[in-house]
Amino acid sequence: MKRMALALSLALWAPGTLFAQAEEEMDVYIPYTQFTLDNGLNVIVHQDRSIPVVSVNLWYQVGSKNELPGRTGFAHLFEHIMFEGSANVPEGDFDDHLESAGGVNNGSTSPDRTNYWENLPSNALELALWLEADRMGWLLDSMDQTKLDVQRDVVKNERRQSYENRPYGLAFETILEAAYPPDHPYHWPVIGSMEDLSAATLEDVSDFFRTYYAPNNASLCISGNVSVSGARDLVEKYFADIPRGPEIPGVEYPDPAFSEDRVLVLEDEVQLPRLYMMWHSPAVLSEGDAEMELLASALAGGRSSRLYRRLVYEEQVAQDVSAFQDGGEIGGAFYIIATAKPEVDLDVLEAAIRQEVESAAYSGVRDEELERARNGVETAFVGMLERVGGFGGKADLLNRYHFQAGNPGFVRRDLARYRDATVAGLGEVARVHLIGRGSVVLSVVPRGREDLAARKDQ
Amino acid sequence: MMKGVACMVGLSVAVSLAGCSFGMSYRQEGDQGSINLGAGVGEPAPAPSVDRSVPPEVGPPPGVTFPDQVRFTLDNGLRVVLVERHQVPVVAVRLLIPGGGGAVEPHQAGLAVLAADMLDEGTTTRSAMEIAEGVERLGASLGSFAGWDASVVSLRVVKPRLEGAFEILADVIMNPSFPQEELERVRREQLDRILQSMDEPRALADNAFVNVLFGEEHAYGQPLSGTRESVGALTREAVADFYRDRYVANNSILIVVGDIDEEEIRELLNGTLAAWRRGIPRSFARPGTPDLRSAAVYVVDKPDAAQSEIRVGRIGVDRGTEDYFGLTVLNTVLGGSFTSRLNMKLREEKGYTYGAGSFFDMRVWEGPFVARSGVQSEVTDSAVVEFLGEIRRIGEEEIPEEELTRGRNYLALRLPQQFESVSDIASRLSELLLYGLPDDFYDVYVDRVLETEAAGIRALAERYLDPEEMVIVVAGDRATIEEPLRRLGIGEVVILPGPERDQGS
Repeated sequence: MKRMALALSLALWAPGTLFAQAEEEMDVYIPYTQFTLDNGLNVIVHQDRSIPVVSVNLWYQVGSKNELPGRTGFAHLFEHIMFEGSANVPEGDFDDHLESAGGVNNGSTSPDRTNYWENLPSNALELALWLEADRMGWLLDSMDQTKLDVQRDVVKNERRQSYENRPYGLAFETILEAAYPPDHPYHWPVIGSMEDLSAATLEDVSDFFRTYYAPNNASLCISGNVSVSGARDLVEKYFADIPRGPEIPGVEYPDPAFSEDRVLVLEDEVQLPRLYMMWHSPAVLSEGDAEMELLASALAGGRSSRLYRRLVYEEQVAQDVSAFQDGGEIGGAFYIIATAKPEVDLDVLEAAIRQEVESAAYSGVRDEELERARNGVETAFVGMLERVGGFGGKADLLNRYHFQAGNPGFVRRDLARYRDATVAGLGEVARVHLIGRGSVVLSVVPRGREDLAARKDQ
Repeated sequence: MMKGVACMVGLSVAVSLAGCSFGMSYRQEGDQGSINLGAGVGEPAPAPSVDRSVPPEVGPPPGVTFPDQVRFTLDNGLRVVLVERHQVPVVAVRLLIPGGGGAVEPHQAGLAVLAADMLDEGTTTRSAMEIAEGVERLGASLGSFAGWDASVVSLRVVKPRLEGAFEILADVIMNPSFPQEELERVRREQLDRILQSMDEPRALADNAFVNVLFGEEHAYGQPLSGTRESVGALTREAVADFYRDRYVANNSILIVVGDIDEEEIRELLNGTLAAWRRGIPRSFARPGTPDLRSAAVYVVDKPDAAQSEIRVGRIGVDRGTEDYFGLTVLNTVLGGSFTSRLNMKLREEKGYTYGAGSFFDMRVWEGPFVARSGVQSEVTDSAVVEFLGEIRRIGEEEIPEEELTRGRNYLALRLPQQFESVSDIASRLSELLLYGLPDDFYDVYVDRVLETEAAGIRALAERYLDPEEMVIVVAGDRATIEEPLRRLGIGEVVILPGPERDQGS
């Protein structure tokens, strides 16, 4: 039985020594085979015989960033329409087939890409490939106005559930609108605007599909209990006939940088005020991206982090605090989010947060903070290798690295980015990106409680 | 059925990822059953030219062997179960203590949760911050929480850093000190979470639903985390008593899964949990089952809500029920998968919702059966009609064979996926051990599922899913929904008082 190659050298590790060695022993590695069909479809196969499951994972390099103002929400809408049937798969049959075979499936849309996956018992691999090929090649054959209308309604319901009927549900959308100019692809939310969706014609949507849902814009990863040659044969069988699509238009975008803070307030059905702070930051895998992630962890990752310790534990002015680096393909966003205790003014939280950010920028983070952040990253990486598919499993990773780094085997170098980061490096990214640059400062407050908002005098 | 809400925050590596700002996933959160399988991996046969008009043959599923368990008991009575898994250098440890929210008097609701939360807030040798620092510096995660049936302390860590993390785990299990100052802080956090939940339509509906169903005298009638009143009244003594009466070695089960062998775990235990004290675990009496409620509609007002959260249900069965397999298959067809009747009707056919489903919450004692969905406010009454219609139909007509086969297969064939990660396996073992299921439970699961039959399932539906016995709770905009619900003529429409929203904790 070939096991996934995961070299583990057992370095001497003394119990009780909490400062583990910087040169870590664990290697991460996902062996794979890669080939491209004539029509441009990128194919990756990773074999893992440990459980009799296979994951089929398809990434289309299209997301909300490929939309145009006035025509937003298409990529996400398509995620729905893709389940509505294709030439050989009548409406409703997609899930029937999969469930009957013991499969689970889902999809997701982000600003940068759309992804579909199925996890099934390995005997059903061909079924999944048949389904995915049919909707890649022959979706439009069975698309009509009725289906478009029905899925528009489902999306509206989704929007109600995830945005309007959820406390703080409109926060991120509000921040994006303020942080990016209207012609920047990250300005609009993935779900799009209701007006744009209502106005979309069948022709609009079909054009979008023909352009982006083509084999030359896709990567198919098969991961799990398969043989490479067997998988290859099936992929050729089902996908080789699908014609190549047109050249994919590039995405243009203005520089979103701004220097003055943008201060916003939202009233909502909430009990606790919450402060969102956002800065522009490095794009995914670019210089500074890993440092920003580690910085986020040092600032607010875990209970011993600076902000948690100060705001939640010691001063008890916050219910929770978090920070994260969200690196996208054409730019990144760095967030710090803190929920205040009742009646706490968000100015208090903002002041404390900026103090800690400045301290990190000018005095640097401590060795143990970096070590904690780095060890957390390692644990996360190892965790990602546990699953063959689904969101964040090996199939997902292989496709992601192919699109983001041009190399499905990037995982080792990815982890190296974090291991190579230094205390000085973290201080520098904090100085460059978080000091002297504009930020979006959004306060979400209970109805009638603008008095709790940050910067209420501005 | 409905899949995890795994929003993708841009495409950055999954490190901290506190938020999911941008990604939208196709299906909403759902719950699954678990399953089982056989042996032998097959190669797909080389295929001739493709005829896309027919689905390909799926063929017989490969089998899987359930991983071996090593079981032993320490001198102090602690039961240990080990499953080795060496694909990835990670170890998951889970301590199960029977007795969670269900073991708490209603007036002390939230006690099990508070006690669990307090475990890592200080021991006899470590402060809360020292515990946090120690765990986090190793890149590990240590958690303690309480469910209805058990309290759990869990650890997840990479193999090279296991020893240090395990030592801290053992310390919080054996030596918590419940510092008063930390207790006050943690209590406030719990109270503020309760405060926040008052704006969550789902929480409003859930809390009202169980309260109507189980009443004030039953532990299940309270929110697991308690109310502002019950949590406000908890004392350090109550927390310490709960711990003393339950967290004892001879009452507990330690589950260990991952890159570790028997020798290593025994060695780890020798210096740590082997010294944990024995005790006399306090038993808790089974509460009386409240009378079955007659059909009525209860409304919790959430003014201007864009959606109504609907709960339709009744008191169900306990985990030891002899009807486990029949009910699980029944529920899969009714509301336990994406293609289930409730989801297809309410989401795809009617367009009322992003997702609808149902489940039997089988606890140590009878938990609720509930069918639920969040629907547009204007169609609340119509949605209720559809819920009752589907519930009635499945008890009146046998499920057609094709639909039933799909439901059975969905359960039976998904089993290997339920054993993929170390956390998955730990969860399966937890279920097995906590409820005292037979050792061969997963080995026979597939057969038991596949041998269920339409007639038997219909009889179960008739017995357990009588629409006349259902309680209906709706959290939504009273101004919009009250009249239409009254006009349905199901029964009395009762307006429940909303939660008190006084500020301050």
